[in-house]
Amino acid sequence: MDFLVFLISLSHFLNTSHLHSRQIISKELIVRRKHMKKTVLMLMIVSALFLPLFAQGKSDAQESDPFSWIEDQMINGLPGVNPIKVTGTIVTAGSSTVFPLSERMAERFTEEGYNGTITVDSIGSGAGFERFTVAGETDISNASRPIKSKEIDQAKKIGRNPIEFKVGTDALAVTVSAENTFVKDVTMEELAMIFGSATYWSDVRSTWPRQQIQRFIPGTDSGTFDYFSEEVFDKDPAPMLNASNVQLSEDDNILVQGIEGSPYAIGYFGYAYYVENKDKLNVLAIEGVEANEENVNAGLYPLARPLFLYSDAAIMREKPQVAAFIAFYLAYVNEEVTRVGYFPADDAALAKSRQGWLDAMEGLY
Amino acid sequence: MKSIQTHPFNKKLRIHEAFIEGALFLFALLSIAITVSIVVILLRESLLFFESDEVTISGFLFGTKWQPMIGYFGILPLLNATLMTSLIAMIVALPLGLAVGIYLSEYADEQLKSVVKPVLEVLAGIPSIVYGYFALTFMTPLLRSLFGDDVVQMYNMMSAGIVMGILILPLVATMAEDAIAAVPVELRLASYALGATTLETSIKVVVPAALSGLSATFLLGLSRAIGETMIVALAAGAGPKLTFNFFEGAETITGYIVRISGGDVSYNSVDYTSIFALGLILFLMTFTLNMISREISARYQTEYE
Repeated sequence: MDFLVFLISLSHFLNTSHLHSRQIISKELIVRRKHMKKTVLMLMIVSALFLPLFAQGKSDAQESDPFSWIEDQMINGLPGVNPIKVTGTIVTAGSSTVFPLSERMAERFTEEGYNGTITVDSIGSGAGFERFTVAGETDISNASRPIKSKEIDQAKKIGRNPIEFKVGTDALAVTVSAENTFVKDVTMEELAMIFGSATYWSDVRSTWPRQQIQRFIPGTDSGTFDYFSEEVFDKDPAPMLNASNVQLSEDDNILVQGIEGSPYAIGYFGYAYYVENKDKLNVLAIEGVEANEENVNAGLYPLARPLFLYSDAAIMREKPQVAAFIAFYLAYVNEEVTRVGYFPADDAALAKSRQGWLDAMEGLY
Repeated sequence: MKSIQTHPFNKKLRIHEAFIEGALFLFALLSIAITVSIVVILLRESLLFFESDEVTISGFLFGTKWQPMIGYFGILPLLNATLMTSLIAMIVALPLGLAVGIYLSEYADEQLKSVVKPVLEVLAGIPSIVYGYFALTFMTPLLRSLFGDDVVQMYNMMSAGIVMGILILPLVATMAEDAIAAVPVELRLASYALGATTLETSIKVVVPAALSGLSATFLLGLSRAIGETMIVALAAGAGPKLTFNFFEGAETITGYIVRISGGDVSYNSVDYTSIFALGLILFLMTFTLNMISREISARYQTEYE
């Protein structure tokens, strides 16, 4: 402020308008003064541009309580969360299967008042773990398979100890197009042939037509792919990748579109993507067991798998908004999970997740 | 009297001029530096790829299966899909573009030109991902209704190729028009004087005279088609397959690069360095095409008096 006052008074001094016309001043002096006046004017304009640097906003010294979002009322053993008071950004990435669920919870979190940014990227469980354990870019990793010990070691190298939160259950949907009239159920061995060695449908069951099988499967970064190769091919990804007519994508919507297009196409992905496209796809029963709530809850469906969130206690403590989001998630996930298209995790697993949250946040509020 | 050895107008050393000249020279140098650094990075990472145990150069160039996760590194399926989609694109774009170029330079009046040329610019300005969705949601259903659902797969090379042709059509049309307009009017007048019609003049006199420019157009359009990514990534398919049936889906080189780099592969794995090897192949192809087109332009450029 003072600097500006100085400049203004300087320009006033250089103002030549007070000179009487009769005073004898050499032309050169006037021109020089005008030149200096111009220079000073330029200096004033340029320094005015730097004024914002001196602007002082609210002092950073008084920071509001980072845990002001905690409410006394407990929900299922966790403290309540008031999303309006949560500030900061949350970065999550990982499984395309968990993606619809996480996206719905993030949506609800924002609807109830959170006004920071929360990003959910759908890149596959493996890629999500890579970002979480190697690059350290994400706060929460979504996964449709448990974390591998190799990934835990990598996380420890960057100072993170992954905590597992089971949030739901998925019944892996093996789907065919609605135009497909001949396949209704398969056995696990037939699945291995369909996605592996067979070329024609009739190679698997002679009653099926002699048409080439078109396969649409998740890519190798996907937890769904890992899970399927574990369950159906005994941890060997080679048969699926060696198969003829195979198209891979981490984006399950691309798979849905491909399967819709032909009665001889088949693929697999999270149940939510089937629910979204029920009119164009048929889901197959595995070993005679259909994919529905009773069978999943009773543990009868062979391809039921857990859905996880992974985070780290240090992140949750340093970034309270991450803890807030996870608490919110665990509290309300059972209300949203069926609408999204998955199945609730069993109560014991949810209780364990909630206890994990409480342990991570012990003593902070 | 001293003989004047120096330039008659002695250049006074103007510092600001020298400064600007130096700055502009640096910018020009920057573009060369960027190109060189891109080539260096491609070469360095591709060397890592070829040095790894599972990859042999002959297996890479002549293998018929591409599945890096399980050790198959044959580039032929990807290369084949790239070439097939580019071929379809050129079949669509070249005749149409040539026809548009001939029409605009020989037949059209100024008013029509002032309408058609901006529309062509608009077509060139549409983002390629929009074209990709256009291929997926319009072209593929159209082909399926024309040829039948069982012949045309959901992801196929034909619809990607056709839409790619629409993408490069403005490029080909404007370059063709420039090449044809560059032919001096005396040739046309001579042809008319001999009693030829406009069509005969265009096809038998003007186009052969403009051949060097037209071949440059063709090669540039081809290199653009080879490097096109979003359309083929969305519409051509996501699985490498060596097939000569246009209605089947097959992944191109660019489509594969997009799929893998979108998925966070771990660094220094063979998957990761394979992207660079493929990038190097693409670069070599487009570079060679550009060199050939420059060579043809230079060699066959007829100087008219």
